[in-house]
Amino acid sequence: MAAAERVVVDRATKVYNAGALNVFSELRMSVHDRETLCVLGPSGCGKTTLLRAMHGLIGLDEGRIVIDGLEVKRPRRDVAMVFQHFGLMPWKRVRENVAYGLELAGFSRADVDQRARKYIDLVGLSGFERAFPHELSGGMQQRVGLARALAMEPDILLMDEPFGSLDAQTREILQDELLRIYQQHPRTMVFITHSIEEAIALGDRIVVLTARPARVRETLTVDIPRPRTVAGVIAHPRFLELRDRCWHLLRERTTA
Amino acid sequence: MRRLRLGDWAVRLGSIAFVLLVWEFVAPRFNPLIIRSPSAIFRAFFELVGTGELQDALGQSLRELFAGLAIAIVVGVVLGIASGRWRFVYNALDPWVSALYSVPSVALVPLIAVAFRSLGDPPRIATVALFAVFPILINTQQAVRNLDRSLLEVARAFNTSERRLWSDLIIPSAVPFILAGVRLGIGRGLIGMIVAEFFVGLVGMGYLIVEYENVFRIDRMFVPVIIVAAMGIILMGFVQWLEVRVAPWLRREQ
Repeated sequence: MAAAERVVVDRATKVYNAGALNVFSELRMSVHDRETLCVLGPSGCGKTTLLRAMHGLIGLDEGRIVIDGLEVKRPRRDVAMVFQHFGLMPWKRVRENVAYGLELAGFSRADVDQRARKYIDLVGLSGFERAFPHELSGGMQQRVGLARALAMEPDILLMDEPFGSLDAQTREILQDELLRIYQQHPRTMVFITHSIEEAIALGDRIVVLTARPARVRETLTVDIPRPRTVAGVIAHPRFLELRDRCWHLLRERTTA
Repeated sequence: MRRLRLGDWAVRLGSIAFVLLVWEFVAPRFNPLIIRSPSAIFRAFFELVGTGELQDALGQSLRELFAGLAIAIVVGVVLGIASGRWRFVYNALDPWVSALYSVPSVALVPLIAVAFRSLGDPPRIATVALFAVFPILINTQQAVRNLDRSLLEVARAFNTSERRLWSDLIIPSAVPFILAGVRLGIGRGLIGMIVAEFFVGLVGMGYLIVEYENVFRIDRMFVPVIIVAAMGIILMGFVQWLEVRVAPWLRREQ
């Protein structure tokens, strides 16, 4: 498979406190066109920092990240991010939160309206347009965060442990939802997670990172065919093998 | 703010009625130079309205209060936002705010009177503004300084402009704190109003209080006291009502 590389992370290094704390060093990975790349690593290994660097929210100390041939310096319109903490504005209603990125991108009022409606519908929030975030459950709030990112119709979607703060059941529902949305419109996605099951269910490939300073331990290919559902993936004969492999890779470092 | 239920209101009104009744029956046993009954105060109210004194004094006091509060809100919000957002302004302002806020504002009233070299409205308005400005300024400043960092990152991730950053994030997140500051400011502003009316020129509600105390008309003296209390209750109630209007997302607190 010689798919085009959309995101290239090249020897990315990040240190904090003037070098005292090495977050990750010499990271190399690439994301192919229309694939979901899951980045799996122990808590605090710098996964989120890497994703923020991919979006140009923070700079690297060494190396570079290139998206579609352009080095990332600052957030771009064709890349959108979904946050672990949802990041909804409490004073904006659902529709306004979803429309936020579109308005900033300078779309006409009619386009903003039409697209906001389309993506609110896509994530199953029709009828909640006028609700404030606090009136919604955690799962519904993250649906808003997802709709806000998808409404930008980005080439690349960056997901920072988006379901990490949700309860197990809600998480699985939203994972299925994400798989369904991917099926309708496959797009390139980087998905940060510390859940092995989540990485296998959603990812086409999984990059396993070591503990800090994070390095790429191994890259696994999830050879479970799409269309997928979470239940279907877990029942798949490859699932256990992949999970054990991930467990082994993660544990190897933490107990060392 | 929790919504009051019917039962809550019954208890509140009952409490007021109970105190007024006890007062009414106890008052005649005392020297009328010291204590007068609610019904006497009620009659005094109409006497003062009849002579037009009360309306004149109320107009005077309200003029000072509103002008002073308006200045305090504008100055407090502008300086609060500027000092909350820019380190330079914060450092330049903070020593003065701390110093002026630590001194009991009452102690500065004679200074204001001297500075204005007049006994007209301006020094009294300035006094109200001085009393009211600090809670508004400090509240606004804290709101802007404690801006939600994660939301700030969201705004950056979606390529916000500086102008939209203000309208989407800074102002809306500060509004509830500003209004809470205004409510505190109203209470302090009323104190400033009365103090200024005592010390600078003797006019308005302050004048009525001093005047009728001097001639031992305790019934009449009570009228402006009650009116000032009513002003505070009504104004703060208005700000609370406003809060629900301009910050509907805050209803989650219930």
